[in-house]
Amino acid sequence: MSSFDLPHARGLRGRIAPETAAIQDISVRQEVEKRVAQMEGRYRGLLEAAPDAMVVVNQDGEIILVNLQAKKQFGYVRDELLGQQVTTIIPAGFAERLIADGTRTAAEALAQQMGTGIELVARRKDGGEFPIEIMLSPLESAEGILVTAAIRDISVRRDAEKHLAQMEDRRRLAEDALRESEERYRMLIDGVQNYAIFMMDPRGQIVSWNAGAERTKGYRADEIVGQNFSLFFPSDEIERGRPEQVIRMATLRGRHEEQGMRVRKDGSQFLASMTLTALRDAAGILRGFSEFSHDLTESKESEAKYRALLEAAPDAMVVLHPDGKIVLLNLQAENQFGYQRDELVGQPVTNIIPAGFAERLIADGTRPAAEALAQQMGAGIELAGRRKNGSAFPIEIMLSPVASTEGILVTAAIRDISVRKAAEKHLALMEGRYRGLLEAAPDPMVLVNQAGNIVLVNLQAEKVFGYRRDELVGLSASKLISEDSLELMISQARRSPDGTLVEKSSAGIDVDGHHKDGTSFPIAVTLSPLETDEGPLLAVAIRDITRRKQAEALLLHTVEELNRSNEELGQFASLASHDLQEPLRMVASYTQLLSKRYKGRLDADADEFIAFAVDGANRMQRLIQDLLTYSRVGTKGREFVEVSSEGSFECAMANLRGAVEDSGARVTHDRLPAVLADEGQLIQLFQNLVGNAIKYQGPGIPEIHVSSARSGDGKWTFSVKDNGLGIEAKYFEKIFGMFQRLHRREEFAGTGIGLAICKKIVERHGGHISIESQLGQGSTFRFALKESQVTP
Amino acid sequence: MPIEVLLVEDSPGDVRLTREALCEANTSVHLHVANDGVDAMAFLRREGSYANSPRPDLILLDLNLPKMDGREVLEKVKGDGDLKTIPTIILTTSEAEADIVKSYQLRANCYLSKPVQLDAFESLVKSINDFWLTKAKLPHQSQN
Repeated sequence: MSSFDLPHARGLRGRIAPETAAIQDISVRQEVEKRVAQMEGRYRGLLEAAPDAMVVVNQDGEIILVNLQAKKQFGYVRDELLGQQVTTIIPAGFAERLIADGTRTAAEALAQQMGTGIELVARRKDGGEFPIEIMLSPLESAEGILVTAAIRDISVRRDAEKHLAQMEDRRRLAEDALRESEERYRMLIDGVQNYAIFMMDPRGQIVSWNAGAERTKGYRADEIVGQNFSLFFPSDEIERGRPEQVIRMATLRGRHEEQGMRVRKDGSQFLASMTLTALRDAAGILRGFSEFSHDLTESKESEAKYRALLEAAPDAMVVLHPDGKIVLLNLQAENQFGYQRDELVGQPVTNIIPAGFAERLIADGTRPAAEALAQQMGAGIELAGRRKNGSAFPIEIMLSPVASTEGILVTAAIRDISVRKAAEKHLALMEGRYRGLLEAAPDPMVLVNQAGNIVLVNLQAEKVFGYRRDELVGLSASKLISEDSLELMISQARRSPDGTLVEKSSAGIDVDGHHKDGTSFPIAVTLSPLETDEGPLLAVAIRDITRRKQAEALLLHTVEELNRSNEELGQFASLASHDLQEPLRMVASYTQLLSKRYKGRLDADADEFIAFAVDGANRMQRLIQDLLTYSRVGTKGREFVEVSSEGSFECAMANLRGAVEDSGARVTHDRLPAVLADEGQLIQLFQNLVGNAIKYQGPGIPEIHVSSARSGDGKWTFSVKDNGLGIEAKYFEKIFGMFQRLHRREEFAGTGIGLAICKKIVERHGGHISIESQLGQGSTFRFALKESQVTP
Repeated sequence: MPIEVLLVEDSPGDVRLTREALCEANTSVHLHVANDGVDAMAFLRREGSYANSPRPDLILLDLNLPKMDGREVLEKVKGDGDLKTIPTIILTTSEAEADIVKSYQLRANCYLSKPVQLDAFESLVKSINDFWLTKAKLPHQSQN
């Protein structure tokens, strides 16, 4: 205990010190010292009068400081509790919280106290248990963060009533004994050392004096008998007529009890507790008074400790005169109300608590201590506090009387409950918001407990399943979702590693939902488990996927139809061109036969007619051949594999050898990359493009160059550049269409399908073909193919 | 000594073209024609009005025929212990891979596509004559 040292204690001295330093005059300093002692006395009194037991505990759960209340509550004497584990007095629940709090920052720990107190069970030294309520607050100190616990014995209410009744009985017994035998009384009182007991006549003149009185007040019997008892009162009280008042009250009520300052023979003062009893004879005539008094200033502990403890109290504490003026306050009070200490001391309490408090206070001041004590037992009074800046905040006040040299003072423990209120309000707000959110959700949502019963639903759930809310709540979820599916989902949920249901594992579980009318409809269910005060709950979000299912079915059907249609079309093109070949071959063969056998043997007209027929049949054949090739790009295409485009190019050149030789064209190329392609079609592509370049040659020798460049999106762009005729820009799009020709048949033969085939091949490979050209300047065809994954 | 060739072909145009081309290439060819598969089998088995028909030295068989198609005829011929030694050439407009594979699986001796151009057709028929009727040694199974 003596090693106890708290920053707050130092801080407090520091607060007072500048005041001290300013004082030059010795007598003034003495005055100040007296005031300091007085202040310390107040702190101690205040702390000890605190309605709660207060215990300071370090992070190891070790008790390092307690107040008198704590010792009383737990039945220990002075230092027995120090160094003990807090579990000695609070076996369960507190140490855990405490340690958790200890590891948190002061701010977080402070947040802890915002909730209403924690209710636990405490154990007395004798093993007896009693219910308590604890409020925590952190306390920064040289030893690290300490935790101050304000412990409220909530059994006191009942006990106190009992206790008061017992006290009354005892007093009655004492009175009876008094009347019974004056001799016995004398013997008794003479022997009493710890109590000053003396008797007075009706005017207050002392008639008897015991040993205890001599010890307490310093007068011998012969010095004091015959003097008036007002001698024991401080001079200011005498001026106020307090002694007469005390006599009057005792006369009126039969007895008067009070705590107050008394003066010894040497002039020193002490706090005394006294009971003045009117003595009447059998006829009821007032014969005098007896006074039992007791020196209360017995505790010799360091005042600083009390101050420190007081300052560390989680509540704002304010000490008041019965007239409503503030006498003393602690740091919390400064903080809560935003004042400096000296701004409040001496001011009416209505400055900080405008309404409701002063009235109670004054009422309390005029009542006896016992009655005032009873007052504090009720739950705290909720009032509004006002800060220096004018802002108001809700507070809860607990009152207790404290005797001092200045008479009965009232200690008020003021708890700022704005955070609690705000939390309550916030909670209500959040609940409202969640409720709003839930109700506004487009999907049905239900909350299911462990028993599988619905505990909460939203509007959509009512609509979709056809039940009213009151029908749904308490209903088994299996009425809405078949039990098997539900169990399956829950088991899947349990399998997820961290116990929480991951969205992906639960989303998209398509099961059947059951409407109240017995119909079923497809639903997708998302589960998420919630840990709540009611135990684990399962949030079930349900989506009616009837429409989605319908759309899916429709889409599937459409795709099937489209595939069938495409296949039919491909087959048709292939069959049509194939079957067209047969009769066409007849036409071509016989016109050729005719031409061969009869050319020059009929007239000139016949020769010309036969020539047209032969030409037409030949063109028809090429057209059909090209159409067949075109249709086969889609229908007879092969899988894309890694292909050397250089190899494909070489192959195309071999196929074009005749044309190259006939035209004398120079065809050059860079090294070409490996690509993902249908090799046959790639050959066809090169063949058509280079073939066209040769065919549509300009005035000089055809020069054709094939190159490739990486285009950055995993593709290679190929270029086939020629020095041929070139094409006007307005035809760029047109040339890739079916049967599009830019030249008369007499100039260039062709079906107008070649580039359409190229386009179809490139597009089948996921690419795009384009041309860059100027009339007379040659053309460059470009197309892109996916690069092979293997080759860079 | 005449060479007996059975042409199984339903198109009169093709029959005429083949006849023109073959006779131009080889004057000693006797070309017999069956217009469908049933007719062809009757000829080969000398059934009905074909009782006196000769055993052909070579069969030119089209695949797409009425009643019984060329594939079936081929299967029957190559499954017949007596007829299977007769070289059977598929001569058809089909260039389908499936037809080619199927034909060889059924033991066709050769598969030829009819070219579209008359010149090409004539030269194809000429090469049939040059190879199968001139250079190749064919079995001459005696008639009963």
